Amino acid sequence: MNRLVAERSPPRAVIKKGRPAWLLWLIPAGAAALCLWFLYRDYIATGPLITIYFQNVNGLQEGNTQVQFRGCQIGEVKTLTLAPDLRQVKVTTRLAGFAKNLARTGSLFWIVRPELKVGTISGLQTIVSGEYINVQPGDGPPTNVFTGVEQQPLDKEPGALSIIVRGNALNSVQEKSTVYYRSLAVGEVTGYQLASDGRAVLIRARVRKEYAPLVRENSIFWNAGGLDLHVGLFKGAEISAISAQSLVSGGIEFATPTAPGAAATNGAVFELNEKAKDEWKNWEPSIPLHLEKQAPATETLPNSEPELK
Amino acid sequence: MDRDPMGADSLVACETCGLVQEVGEVPKGSVAYCARCDSHLIHRRPNTRLRTFTFSLAALILYFPSNLYPIVTAEYHGIHSQTTILQGIRTLFQDRQYFIACLVLCTSILSPAFKIVGLLFLSTTIEWPRWKKARTWIYRVIRVIDPWNMLEVFLLAICVAMIEMGQVASVHPGRGVFSFTAVVALTLLATLSFDSRVLWDSPEEKKRYE
Repeated sequence: MNRLVAERSPPRAVIKKGRPAWLLWLIPAGAAALCLWFLYRDYIATGPLITIYFQNVNGLQEGNTQVQFRGCQIGEVKTLTLAPDLRQVKVTTRLAGFAKNLARTGSLFWIVRPELKVGTISGLQTIVSGEYINVQPGDGPPTNVFTGVEQQPLDKEPGALSIIVRGNALNSVQEKSTVYYRSLAVGEVTGYQLASDGRAVLIRARVRKEYAPLVRENSIFWNAGGLDLHVGLFKGAEISAISAQSLVSGGIEFATPTAPGAAATNGAVFELNEKAKDEWKNWEPSIPLHLEKQAPATETLPNSEPELK
Repeated sequence: MDRDPMGADSLVACETCGLVQEVGEVPKGSVAYCARCDSHLIHRRPNTRLRTFTFSLAALILYFPSNLYPIVTAEYHGIHSQTTILQGIRTLFQDRQYFIACLVLCTSILSPAFKIVGLLFLSTTIEWPRWKKARTWIYRVIRVIDPWNMLEVFLLAICVAMIEMGQVASVHPGRGVFSFTAVVALTLLATLSFDSRVLWDSPEEKKRYE
């Protein structure tokens, strides 16, 4: 009985100091900070909304198609709508924040599709991944409206020497055909057109900056595309072509006499000869060139494009 | 404090070990601990209003990113898709999975929203003499829908299933899923810290257990 009574008088609780209640406000404050951080990241990551007009957007998907530059994703297609006149498709695209400098006048957008042409196969990855939009940066003032181009434009090459070669016929020369010097690719054809009087073909070509001094006023150009077939009585048949590539996609070669003339200027006009004479190939002019450490292997020089500011 | 030392308010049963003990005068800002197991001893959970309010407020703030940001980002050979919870529900509706779609809609969007708003309402209006019935009703609804919130785990199961396809496609959790997890945890804490006894306290009891 005594024990029960003793147990009825309960023990005393321990009293300690508690945590201040204002600490609880840290929880909504933390949530708000997280939200603000999300918004800040969005603000940083979101670039301008640009509009590109294309003739044909076959293969593009809303919310899925990427915009790439140098293989890096810089944006995404948001909507595809027809322009009111039904002649173009309006593609709205959200660029990433770090790509906002691509939204400048002069930027060229084109759709990369699988392409199989003589001499080149390109865009093969788009068979699996779907078409994407590629861009060549411009350097004009910022803008948000662009007109897409149908094909990949030629890479820009500041400092390249632009010349015009005047020939009787285009033969196998086409856009992006190579310009050779001693069978070495030093430039490319950028376009062609018929002369205004229709009596000749004008081929625009450019020679890369570092090879530009090779072109002199007395340089001689000839068509390097196709096969060169000599049949002689004593030496049998002789077939020559600069390269398999020039065989299919055409090319122009030039040589400069051993006594070189004055350096050619932009827009200089040269005559295109049908065939090379052997003596041209034996010319050995000594022209100092400022070559970089390694001669580049392809026509597209990655260091030749303008820096983005 | 002129309490009857053997009265109902001086005797407290420990919530953890069940020991009934007498709680003497507790100065403001102090907490009583059990003499046997060292757990908190309380008539009413401390700061229950403030706790519930802050947790539900944090949940309300994070409720928006959890629904606006994608929960998963899937990438498959350059094709990438981001899915928010609402888009997922829409996809389920389009696939004629009406039952699952309704279930996800209720457990992931409607019930957290109701819980958050309900708890905010309860914790702010508890002092008001009016709407006592409404508060009881809201509290009961929250009690009913609470277990259903566990179905949110279902969403995680989907995520895991998608990540399993790792060889073919890569799946990353988006911002939404982190916010969503936080919302679930915060609403859980908010309901846990809500002491339903304060709903029906008389003014004297309120004063006493302040």
